[in-house]
Order: sequence, then structure tokens, then C-alpha cells
Amino acid sequence: MKTKTRRILALCCAALILAAGLYALVWAKATLPPTYDGTKQEADGAAAIIVQKNLGEAYAANDVASIVFDFRGYDTLGESFILLTAIAGSFVILAMSHHGEEDEKDEV
Amino acid sequence: MKYKNGITQKNVVVKCGADKFLPFALVFGLYIILFGTVSPGGGFQGGVIVASSALLLYLGYGYKTASRAINSDVLRVGESVGATLYVILGLIGIFVGSVFCRNVFYNIGPVGDLISGGTITFMSYAVGFKVLCGVGFLLLLLMGVLAPDGDDGKEAKE
Repeated sequence: MKTKTRRILALCCAALILAAGLYALVWAKATLPPTYDGTKQEADGAAAIIVQKNLGEAYAANDVASIVFDFRGYDTLGESFILLTAIAGSFVILAMSHHGEEDEKDEV
Repeated sequence: MKYKNGITQKNVVVKCGADKFLPFALVFGLYIILFGTVSPGGGFQGGVIVASSALLLYLGYGYKTASRAINSDVLRVGESVGATLYVILGLIGIFVGSVFCRNVFYNIGPVGDLISGGTITFMSYAVGFKVLCGVGFLLLLLMGVLAPDGDDGKEAKE
């Protein structure tokens, strides 16, 4: 009996959350301004800032390159060090496994 | 496991495919590294494409030939050299009186030229070289694990 009431309560909660989410979706669709409708040619919002100010700020033709290597240079640096660490770790593990096999062979 | 001993039989179709695709992989990867700052692409992606040529060598010719053709010591050192080059090129920004990774030496030629981007172009090349060496070395290591016992080259013992 207790489990049945609990199940009904859970179903009610799920229905409530679903209804709230659906309402939020409809409300957002009705009130929020459209970000991109597929017809505009020029960028807006953050994309406009990047496209229009990039040449003056970073002096690079390619926006993505200027973001990756200039504005987010530390990010790229950390990324490359992650790769370095991963390769060093796998080198240690694989070389150790190889050495272990050789040692076993030598013992046999 | 079926593939425990790696690739020992040299299939002629795979060999011809590797022969045909190896130069294209190298040229395409180097193109993506070189034009990373003015076109879609970049150092990381191009480096991985160039490193995949090691895998093509392995697929076509087996571990012994691949490990003999590619010097793993050079790759291991080259990865560290690439990472150091990136840091040095980033430090140039500090030495000219700005922040780390600042783009300097820009406006060489018209916008959209190969080296018009300034130092970020060379930082992209450094990352490309580093990834090329690093991923190539990783692939060689993984091939060494798959190498059969009789095919064990000297490089696998490292």
C-alpha cells in the first residue's frame, strides 16, 4: 500500500516537472528574441564582437586561430601539456610491460 | 585474440592502398599545419593527420619496416622541442611589453597571407610539430605492443 502511494506521488512529481518544462519551452519560444533565423547575413551578439574587433585586437585574419593561440593561449598550452603527459604516461606503462615480458623470458 | 600478434601477413590490397595514401596523408597534413592560421584547420589536426601516416606504414608493411623507417628517438625529442618552442614564442609577447601569448610581428604583408598573422602562425606550427611527433611516437609504442615476437625490432625495447 505504501509503495503504491509512493509510486503515485512520484508520477505526479514527474508530470509536474514535465509540464513546467513544457511551459518554459513554450514561453521561451514566444518571448525570447530569435538568435539566428537563417536569413541574416551578418553576425550578431558575441559573434559580431569577435568578427568586427578581431583584426583590431589580435591582428589575425582567422578568428579561430586568434582565439586559440592569442586570447586562449594558456588553454592551448595546457592542452599540449596534457598530450605530453598522456604520451609520457603511456610510454612508461608500455615500456614497463615490455620489460616485464623480457624479464620473464630471461627467467624462463 | 585474433590480432594478438599484430599484422604479419602482408595483404597486397592493403599494401597498395598504403602506398597510394601515404603521400596524400603527408602532404594534406602538412598543408593543414601550414595554412592553419588562415584557413580552417590548425596545428593539432594537421599533426594528427601526418602522424596517421605511421599507421599506414604499419598497415602496409608491418611493425619491423615501420619502426625501421621512423626514428622514435627523434619523435620523442621533437615533441619536447615543439612544446618548448610554443612557450618561447608565447614569451615573446612578454618581452615586447605585453602579456603572454600576445600576437606580435603582425601585418607582414596583406591580411590573409600565410605569415600575416604574426607569431600565432609560428605557435600553430610549433603545436603542429609537437602533435606530429607525439602522436607518431604514441602510435609507434602501440604498434610495438602488437608486434609479434620474431618481428621485435630494437625500438620496441625502449
